Amino acid sequence: MNGPFSWRNWLTWFQDWQYFLQGFGRTLWISFLGLFFTLLIGVAVGLVLCGKSRALKRLCKAYMSFFQNTPLVIQVFIYYNMLPKLGIMMGTVTIGVVSLALYTGAYAADIVASAIRAVPLGQMEAAQSQGFSYMQSMMRVVLPQAVKVGLPPMTNQAVNLIKNSSVMAVVAGGELMYCTDSWSGNNLIYGPAFVMTGILYLIICLPTSMLARHLEKRSLKDA
Amino acid sequence: MKKLWMISLALVLALTLGLSVTAVAEDAPDIAAIKARGKLLVGVKADVPSFGYQELGGEFEGLEIDLAKLLAAEILGDESAVEFTAVTAKTRGPLLDTGELDMVIATFTVKPDRLLQYDFSKPYYVDAIGLLVKKADGITGFADLNGKTIGVAQSATTKDALTAAAEGAGYNLEFAEFPTYPDIKAALDSGRVACFSVDKAILMGYLDETVELLPDSFASQPYGVALKKGNAGLLKLVDDKIAAIRTDGTADGLVSKWNLPAVDWAEVDAYGASIWAEAEELAKAQ
Repeated sequence: MNGPFSWRNWLTWFQDWQYFLQGFGRTLWISFLGLFFTLLIGVAVGLVLCGKSRALKRLCKAYMSFFQNTPLVIQVFIYYNMLPKLGIMMGTVTIGVVSLALYTGAYAADIVASAIRAVPLGQMEAAQSQGFSYMQSMMRVVLPQAVKVGLPPMTNQAVNLIKNSSVMAVVAGGELMYCTDSWSGNNLIYGPAFVMTGILYLIICLPTSMLARHLEKRSLKDA
Repeated sequence: MKKLWMISLALVLALTLGLSVTAVAEDAPDIAAIKARGKLLVGVKADVPSFGYQELGGEFEGLEIDLAKLLAAEILGDESAVEFTAVTAKTRGPLLDTGELDMVIATFTVKPDRLLQYDFSKPYYVDAIGLLVKKADGITGFADLNGKTIGVAQSATTKDALTAAAEGAGYNLEFAEFPTYPDIKAALDSGRVACFSVDKAILMGYLDETVELLPDSFASQPYGVALKKGNAGLLKLVDDKIAAIRTDGTADGLVSKWNLPAVDWAEVDAYGASIWAEAEELAKAQ
């Protein structure tokens, strides 16, 4: 059988599967670190949005508007090709983590802010009346309740982050998508390469979004 | 009973029609399909000056465009009966497989393992791999690239050729692959890669006052017209046409028209023969 899905093409893929595994590993690593910093940014900016300082709020809104309304691929291109002209040379893994965290963080902040607002105001007032400071009330009373509301949409952002990590392919990021492009280009075999890469993304994204659905159901039940 | 009549009538009709078509046309089915459509569908590069280049929204132009027009004239008797589609290294294979293109003429290097995936015509041009570096970096030859990162194009043969050369000399090279040539140039400008390496004719399009071409040359890159496997009739027609324009000097005329270095056809043929022989070995081994 000839054509893009011939048995010979599959055979060649299975001979080189370790190359794809290496790219898969890097995708996982970039996604993991990216997600970690996304959560940090999301909580920090989310708290500011619910706080009292108007100057800080304006700053965070500016950050969110900028990163939500420019394509990720352009942001990545700027980190890769423009920053070196200013003397900032980041490696591709660092670029991946920084770009994904700043981009997804801008969305995560919205989620955190609306989750905090979903917790009844009385909770904050009650905590403060017991002598907790604002920060203490936030950390010990409001945020734990907000997590329940914010977790399902946050998990969806995690799925987006994993899929978005594929834009690193345009700057030779060495992750799964780059490995696929490189391998299929060298061999002119794209059939098995893209199918298997799709499956690999599915392997990480599907359980994550199923988790999101499960959490959503649970939070609905509790409510 | 009525149904049976209808079926037999349809059968008779189909048979006579089928017979008459085969009687009139002596063309292979692949060529007949192009004639029936009245248009030759060709995939070309849009970003390689002198080969396949398109000004913003303008006409395609270059040696490969002229070759496509010659082929359209040969098949359809009209050199303007050709529709160009811009392709990249990533899209040219799939577009052939789906049948959206009849052929790809897009600085496609003939390689033994590629012959297992697609059919290629005999080469119509041969180029060498070159090295483009920034003047400010003070790199004077291949040796200075030891330990550095080379920017190459995805789906290009550059990486293999340079790796082989580096191994021979005991050098160590890193590679970064990019989807388009402008991406590689941007990476060279920003210092991400020390060297932009693809076929020399392509590099010529990216020369400016900040960069220079090193004197080194690597592995010849013979360009062929690529077709989906199984189009024997069309392949023979393309091969014949290329042989004809090489004999009557049209090919050399095109090469000089587009300011490309002259081609030594004897060398091309010798090299070409070795590629097809190697491909046969590969096919047998599998």
